[in-house]
Amino acid sequence: MNESFVRLEAVTKRRGDRKVVSNVSFEATEGEFLALLGPSGCGKTTTLRLIAGLETPDAGEIWIAGRRVTANGSNLLPPRSRGVGFVFQDLALWPHLTVTGNLDFVLASAKVPKRERAERIAEALRLVRIEGFAQSYPGQLSGGEQQRAALARTLIARPRLLLLDEPMSSLDPNLKAELLNELASVQRSLGVTAIYVTHNEDEAAALATRIALMTDGRIELIDKAERLKLNRSEGATSSAERDYEAV
Amino acid sequence: MLGISFIGADGGFSLVKYRHLLTDMRQRDLLFTSTLLGVGSALLATIIGAPLGLLLARADLRAKRFLRLALVVPLVIPPYILGLAWIYIGGSAGVVAQAFGRDLLSNWTYSLTGAVLVLGTSFYPLTMLATEAAARRIDAPLEEAALLVARPHRVLSRITLPLIAPSIAAAALLTFVLALSEFGVPGLLRVPVFTTEVFTTFAALYDFGGATALALPLLVVALIAGIAVKLLIGNRMITRPQSVRTGLPLALGGWRVLVIGVFGLALLWSVILPLGVLAREVGGFERIVTSLRESGSAIGNSVLLSTVGATLIVALGVLLGYGRARARMRLRGLVDLVLIVAFAVPSTVVGIGLISLWNRPGLLGDIYNSTAIIVVAYLARFVPVAALVLTASVRQIPISSEEAADVAGASWLRTFTRIVLPQIRTGLAAAWVVAFIFAFGELGATVLVTPPGESTLPVRIYTMIANTPASTVAALALMQAGIILVPLALFGILARNREGKA
Repeated sequence: MNESFVRLEAVTKRRGDRKVVSNVSFEATEGEFLALLGPSGCGKTTTLRLIAGLETPDAGEIWIAGRRVTANGSNLLPPRSRGVGFVFQDLALWPHLTVTGNLDFVLASAKVPKRERAERIAEALRLVRIEGFAQSYPGQLSGGEQQRAALARTLIARPRLLLLDEPMSSLDPNLKAELLNELASVQRSLGVTAIYVTHNEDEAAALATRIALMTDGRIELIDKAERLKLNRSEGATSSAERDYEAV
Repeated sequence: MLGISFIGADGGFSLVKYRHLLTDMRQRDLLFTSTLLGVGSALLATIIGAPLGLLLARADLRAKRFLRLALVVPLVIPPYILGLAWIYIGGSAGVVAQAFGRDLLSNWTYSLTGAVLVLGTSFYPLTMLATEAAARRIDAPLEEAALLVARPHRVLSRITLPLIAPSIAAAALLTFVLALSEFGVPGLLRVPVFTTEVFTTFAALYDFGGATALALPLLVVALIAGIAVKLLIGNRMITRPQSVRTGLPLALGGWRVLVIGVFGLALLWSVILPLGVLAREVGGFERIVTSLRESGSAIGNSVLLSTVGATLIVALGVLLGYGRARARMRLRGLVDLVLIVAFAVPSTVVGIGLISLWNRPGLLGDIYNSTAIIVVAYLARFVPVAALVLTASVRQIPISSEEAADVAGASWLRTFTRIVLPQIRTGLAAAWVVAFIFAFGELGATVLVTPPGESTLPVRIYTMIANTPASTVAALALMQAGIILVPLALFGILARNREGKA
């Protein structure tokens, strides 16, 4: 059995009187693709941000690659030292830098020698198939191209853990299907552990080996994707109206 | 105005005035000094204002609302009031001279350096507010994405600062233009610049054409700066779905004491010290009462004319602003540019223009010979800025709001008064306060057009400085500052109450 690569133990986060993440525990093994599935406001994005170190839990522990990064209500390791890549919901491409500039910033911050950077940038652009947009600004790219650029920027640092916060939510269905395939392919080829947050079970089913269902800040159920039976309720016309239950 | 500047001594077309402008050593010195004044003031305002703005936007400080309001005070007090305060501090009979028993600072006070110091202090709140607004608008994920790979100082230098740089630069340019157009401070501190030369050439020599020729470099600079501001404020950044979180907070930790000290120093330097010195110079409450009695007419004129002026400015400004916001014009950018340049035209130049236009027989002359001309001066100077402020307010109302009224059968006027105006009442109030403050402090145009026997408070102060006891002048200056701060304070309370209800 694979050892866990990322582990959360009894993690809790409060905002005011409300527990947005409540006693959450789960783990993901190395190379696994885990989806956090749940409705808007259930705490899945906050969970992701806690793993990345962008927020601090009020209780619980988080471990990444065998190292405790969060405990006793404080971050023991800053985000830049956790070896994680994060794709934000609105992509967060730096608008004043070209695509190359966005990638170069990451490499320069990691103190990669200049002579290596051009090659790694070219490699990352090839991986996500936007070689022709190297000198374009984010504002000049289409939605799908921006997606790929954001993914390239995340992968170029060679993270061991990839965190994705509903990155496809604003894309049309055809483009989304294409990018989901590419994302799955890239994740498999690189063998990177990934945690993907979504409210769409089609996305979760397409990508993940295991799915964790979240509601009201709690993990209700976590199991292999094929073992979770997705029931369509009568008259439902959108994926959001479907129910799901474990077999 | 421009036409007259091309008329020679023989009544025919002549470029002699412009040739004189370009070849005369004194004119070149004026251009050099004026430019230095503008650049120096803009630099100083940026050095003080930008860090304060960034801290106001991000630092975990208490009483930010109070700090912001207090630090805006130098901007709302007319610059010549601050100039007067600094004369009382650094002049030959000032506080420093009295404390040390000899004149240490008057050479610095009455100099370009002194003028830069006063104007930089007066205008730094512009940069502070612009920086704060820009820093607040940055999507938090942009900085968070960088924090995942880089240290905070690198995120600040490579991500945050480049994103807010256009706003800081626009504020610096605006400060440059305002400093270049300033008349009161260089006049008080005896710094020879174009605005004072324009005033002297016209008021002392009645050389209309010469004064206009002198104004031309200022107009050209205003035009260039206006283009630059428009380009900087334009859409340089991508339009993207906005995150609900903006601006990463900055935990001060051990730096808190230092940061509080910095704010305290800024308050002391720009607000407490000048107002304190003015109060000290007054000497006692009786002097204020006496000054009130002696200058009651000027004070009354200022309050009445500024109130009427501000109301008319907002009335015209909202129509222009609405037209600008809703019109589907290709020349939209040009309209913005015209408004910016119109605001940047130096006050003395506006004054000369008004005289040439209104000083003639008939109805125009009747208006010219009454205090109504002062209101016209306020309109000429400040309608553009009200229009720009209110354009922004109108743009926040979705067009569908008016379309729904249109579909329901409402006339344009009914839609405008019952649908649009109620939704922009905060913007209207803000524009009125800004217009009142500017009008109340206006000097350069007013000093030229005020009819004989009448006066406003700024004109009275300016004309009394040379031959009236300092205590009287200081009392009037303090009264002016106090009257201006009242609408500002009221607006601050109003805004706070609205925030509390929201």
